[in-house]
Amino acid sequence: MSRRWIPVLVLLLLFFVPGVAHACPVCFDPRDQSNGTFLASTAFLSLFPLGMLGSAGLWLRKRLRETDAEERDEDSPAEE
Amino acid sequence: MSAESAVLTMDGSRPEPRRRTQIVANGVLGMIMFTFTEAMLFAGMISAHAIVRARSAGQMWPPFGQPRLPIEQTAFNTAALLVSGVALVLAHFAYRKRARQALGPLAIAVLLGLFFVVFQGVEWAALLDEGLTLQSSAYGGFFYLIVGAHALHAVAAILCLVWAWFRLRRGSLSAAQLGTVEVFWYFVVLVWPLIYLKVYLS
Repeated sequence: MSRRWIPVLVLLLLFFVPGVAHACPVCFDPRDQSNGTFLASTAFLSLFPLGMLGSAGLWLRKRLRETDAEERDEDSPAEE
Repeated sequence: MSAESAVLTMDGSRPEPRRRTQIVANGVLGMIMFTFTEAMLFAGMISAHAIVRARSAGQMWPPFGQPRLPIEQTAFNTAALLVSGVALVLAHFAYRKRARQALGPLAIAVLLGLFFVVFQGVEWAALLDEGLTLQSSAYGGFFYLIVGAHALHAVAAILCLVWAWFRLRRGSLSAAQLGTVEVFWYFVVLVWPLIYLKVYLS
């Protein structure tokens, strides 16, 4: 076997050999409500910053367009 | 000779580079970024509270021997805080018409904010008397951590509002400064109903 297959083999081993530790009492709680809340809070904490940054980005884009429009109005010669 | 240097005005001088109009004041943008980080702080604490609360499913919540939180009184206090936010919105529009007209609504916002914090202090004193402390249970720990963090922000924001009020009275408050303080106070006002919902009502 050529040496170039070694990294591939290592990667495959890393994917398939480890087992799930079942150590986290929240992730592997048998109670549905606890698991559901954990998943919901994970989704919330993942999406919340994206939502905030996205909202801020959209608001800044809106402000930029408004400012550009105001500047264009000021630059255009006044109609007689 | 580059194309850029070839552009000259009628009198032969190089034109001044055009300055873009600032779309958001630096202070406002900085405060928005700060409130984002603080929003994540509260989101983390509320999520941790929700998970601990869910893990106690089937058990008593609040735990046995721990006092109940005063839901009705805090609802009244929540209303006071929300009215304070409305007063600040009125102050914003009054400032745009004539700066000094904002003094009244801004003072109302400050007083209602102070009322909120003092009312919270009275509530804390009563709960401590009843045996709810940081160490008494996870329930108490989360209550003081989340509500305390909010109270800290409320006090800081009230100090900013008071600073803005004095500057406004002297006639030296800029629109950007008012906007910066507004963002802080709106954050304090808007995060509270979520805390009330998750900590008091859940």
